[in-house]
Amino acid sequence: MSELPPTTSVKRWLVTTNHKDIGILYTITALFFLLFGGVLALLIRVQLWDPMNQILSGLAYNEAVTAHGLIMVFWFLSPFAFGFANYFVPLQIGADDLAFPRLNALSYWMYLFSGVLLSISFFQGGTLSAGWTIYAPLNIPAYTPSIGSTGAILALAMFTIGVTASSVNFLVSIHHSRAEGMGIMDMPMFTWTILATVWMMLFAFAALLAAGLILASDRVLGSVYFSATEGGSLLWGHLFWFFGHPEVYIVFFPALGAMLELFQTFSGRRLVGRKWVIIAICLVSVQSFLVWMHHMFLTTINLEIKTLMMATTIGISLPFDLIVFSLIYTLIKGRIQFTTPFLFAFGALLLFILGGITGVFLGAIVLDYEFRGTYWVVAHFHYVMFGGATALIGAAYYWFPKITGKMYDELLGKIHFVLFFIGFNAVYFSMFLGWETPRRVFEYNPELQIYHQFGTIGAFVLGFSFFIMFYNFAKSYVSGEPAGDNPWDYSRTAEWAISSPPPLQNWPNRPSYASGKLEFVKDYVPDRGPAVKTDANGNGATDGGDTHSEHIKEYPYWDKHPSHASIWPLTLSFAVGVLFLGLTGFRDNVVFEVGESLASTSVTISNPVYPILIVVGLVGLVWTGVKWSLEDFYAPPTEFAERWPFEGVEKVKLGMWFFIASDVIVFGAFLSAAIFVRYNAGWMTWEPLAEPLPGLINTFVLLTSSFTVILALVAARRKSRQGLLASLGATIVLGFTFLGIKLWEWNKEIFERGVTISANAHGDPIQASIYYVTTGLHGIHVVIGLVIAIFLFVRAYQGHYLEDERPIEYFGLYWHFVDIVWVFIFPLFYLF
Amino acid sequence: MIDPIILQQGSDWRAQAEVFDEIFFVFLALGTLVGTIVVAYTLWNVFKYRDDGSEPKEDFDAPIVGELPTGQGGPKAKKLFLSFGLSAIVVISLVVYAYGLLLYVEEGPDTSDAGNIEITVEGYQFGWEYIYPNGYSTRGEMIVPADQRIDLNVTSRDVWHNFGSSELRIKSDAIPGEYSSTWFSVSSEDVEAQGGEATYRVECFELCGAGHSAMTGQITVLPQDEWEEWYAGTQGENTSSVDSAGAGNASSVDNAVIRGAPA
Repeated sequence: MSELPPTTSVKRWLVTTNHKDIGILYTITALFFLLFGGVLALLIRVQLWDPMNQILSGLAYNEAVTAHGLIMVFWFLSPFAFGFANYFVPLQIGADDLAFPRLNALSYWMYLFSGVLLSISFFQGGTLSAGWTIYAPLNIPAYTPSIGSTGAILALAMFTIGVTASSVNFLVSIHHSRAEGMGIMDMPMFTWTILATVWMMLFAFAALLAAGLILASDRVLGSVYFSATEGGSLLWGHLFWFFGHPEVYIVFFPALGAMLELFQTFSGRRLVGRKWVIIAICLVSVQSFLVWMHHMFLTTINLEIKTLMMATTIGISLPFDLIVFSLIYTLIKGRIQFTTPFLFAFGALLLFILGGITGVFLGAIVLDYEFRGTYWVVAHFHYVMFGGATALIGAAYYWFPKITGKMYDELLGKIHFVLFFIGFNAVYFSMFLGWETPRRVFEYNPELQIYHQFGTIGAFVLGFSFFIMFYNFAKSYVSGEPAGDNPWDYSRTAEWAISSPPPLQNWPNRPSYASGKLEFVKDYVPDRGPAVKTDANGNGATDGGDTHSEHIKEYPYWDKHPSHASIWPLTLSFAVGVLFLGLTGFRDNVVFEVGESLASTSVTISNPVYPILIVVGLVGLVWTGVKWSLEDFYAPPTEFAERWPFEGVEKVKLGMWFFIASDVIVFGAFLSAAIFVRYNAGWMTWEPLAEPLPGLINTFVLLTSSFTVILALVAARRKSRQGLLASLGATIVLGFTFLGIKLWEWNKEIFERGVTISANAHGDPIQASIYYVTTGLHGIHVVIGLVIAIFLFVRAYQGHYLEDERPIEYFGLYWHFVDIVWVFIFPLFYLF
Repeated sequence: MIDPIILQQGSDWRAQAEVFDEIFFVFLALGTLVGTIVVAYTLWNVFKYRDDGSEPKEDFDAPIVGELPTGQGGPKAKKLFLSFGLSAIVVISLVVYAYGLLLYVEEGPDTSDAGNIEITVEGYQFGWEYIYPNGYSTRGEMIVPADQRIDLNVTSRDVWHNFGSSELRIKSDAIPGEYSSTWFSVSSEDVEAQGGEATYRVECFELCGAGHSAMTGQITVLPQDEWEEWYAGTQGENTSSVDSAGAGNASSVDNAVIRGAPA
């Protein structure tokens, strides 16, 4: 464990795991990507000035359109929101930090390096040019051959991994670390919206990860999913929009949270119908997974399903009606202060009302048929997503004094708002007027030119307004007035109860809401032993929450200080970045010639840089992974916390469960893809490619290994080092046996039967791709499990896990999950 | 081969453009009305309840830092549900109304035993090929008769395109391996109004590559007799206009028509 250097040191920002530091890093990085995506937007607008303009070539224009969409949706909107979430969710719930500080740093660095990968892709023969929706089969190398296209997709996959880590982290934190007395319904609204967001993220991004992995496999390994005419294009549509529709709310909800907070703070009124707003938010989160096909109304979907999707789509608009009315009525009889943050939040509401009404148009299928692929859609989603993000700009002004301790310049802030609001409506409302223009087209119908010219002017005003904000923040940070701890008259949430900026440890004493309002309780801490809970009067309290004795086992390091610094999140992410960069050029530079047998297969490497990067990245990944695991890093759980509905679950175990839930969706997407394509090809026309007997043997091998993991846990509980080593060793041997049989099967199929990842001597090539990719994904899970098992084995040999067997238990959860997945794979690929 | 007898167009046929314009108008009118009311009401109240520096009213219950969040109940909650109920009624009735017209658009007009003309549209990078029932095919321009229902079976031979004409308000995804369908019909009055030959711009509405912007085409509508004359002249020269990459031979057209026929 290293000490955390001061904020003036560069090193601090590389090693910090503190949620406030990481929040700042997220916000600043996201603002950089706002500029990046904004410049691309202006390029687009310049091209649209005149329908005959050719500032950019057709391909370059498509690259600009694609990168603008990807950057704004993924690298700006959500990370900007999660900058605030990082900083303020722990403060709003009374926690010291997020549940897994190093994982949080990892999420940030994965985000940053995925953005670097995306930036590099521009110089790898041009970045992706298939639109941010990346429709198939334009997304395969036959149509978008540049290495940079693969780079952009791997960057997206890497970003997705970071998001998944972050979702698990926030879920555990919010469900596990709420201060005493803060029930789940008592959480501030911003935290509520973040909770709903991360629940959706956990599942939606898993679907995107699966889509991204399949696409990466098509582009890097040569599988043929998305070029298959057996439903390949539609498969992408379903996978993408299963992610894509929840993504709209993932982007919007944090902004809604900011609106809900700011409306209350600047009117001095509490939220109207608070309980119902929360219920509406929860409803939307669930419903968001049931509407995705409304993005595909014209794709040969039958009338019954279209009707169902129309009903769910209209259904999902209703909770928003309630939320909007609640926001409006909250202001009534208030004392509304027109500060910059309020103006932005209020502007966001007006923009969202317009975005919502135009969205109802899209819900009517007949109208949707005509709006499909036009600027109506472009205008609508900018009003919803960017209109929502307007509230986040308000949030930036709102929390600026808390983060920096300085007040921003109110006049400049108001000028920013006015220019922003005028520019916003000029550029996006003109899109409604010129809606007949097809999306991503620059040689449009000249009759519509006036609208596009108006929009271009608006875009420059909008872009310029941000420089006022940057100037305002920079100037105020250097020479602003001291803001004090609580510059707002009617603020309520706990971040305003501590100094600006807050101290590293956040709280003077343990925050508690047990009495109904925030108090800082000084617990009795004996010389050796965990703290004893006391109430506000200093008396030992015994009621409520978990009892003291249950906790002792969970906090074996009670006498240590929490850690705030680790270099391994940075290095681990860097290694992944190097690995992915290497993978981008793999297919173009490494060519396999399949011969008669493995020995006669030749490999031609035309450019050694990419394969070298892959090797370096992999070695770095394993090395930093081991260093990470061995690091003495102490992140104590909040001792006396509200944990509904996961009271009895320890935090790492809870994190493991959330991770597995997300992985279920990843595998679910792969298996659904297999079933969907096979259904489209004609179910009975496919015979299994693999022979059943080796698969059956492997099923028994894997199930037996699940049993040995249980034995390992039992041995560890009985403190039997020999038993632990023997059962872990048996698990490892069984795992390798499984992989050995797998490789033997693959060897036989490739060299004897002529079935490779992109060719199939016995039927559709797509069948071979699905077989290798799905079982391959499972195989990678087994390999990762084996790496962990070997690590555990070495540590067990050194005498660990006999006092604290939880790592064995959690590894077991993962291993059982991988085994259960095989139980689904086996019949699908070996029997039927 | 279709029957060359072309029946008179029934007077109750409505083009997709008409249906669209009607729904669009209704949505636009109601949307503007509701939007204006809500925004005006909101702006008025924000102005009315601004903090003008005067003493707070007695019933003003200012929140304090560190309180556990609570909601506001009372008459406002009632108002909330009333507004919500009203908005739900507006939205649901709009959609139910639009749904009735959707069923019409999906079915298309009932032409009883009239011989609809079924044309396969195949998108490619970067253009459109139109394959007529007799196997003849054209690129760029689709030539059809007035007063008759034209059924389109839309597909693609390379990437995902979207065939559409804003003026006719028709649109259909062109997906490799899939056949999606739409229909349209232009009256002879419209053709006459455009001087005996009506033309409509066709555009691609799904990003399909570097030439996406230029992927335009044209639908030309001729009076029936003129069209018949033109069509008769295309007999027998079915594949000659198509290069080897095209799918313009008769067998694949039959195949396409069969696979694309709506159930």
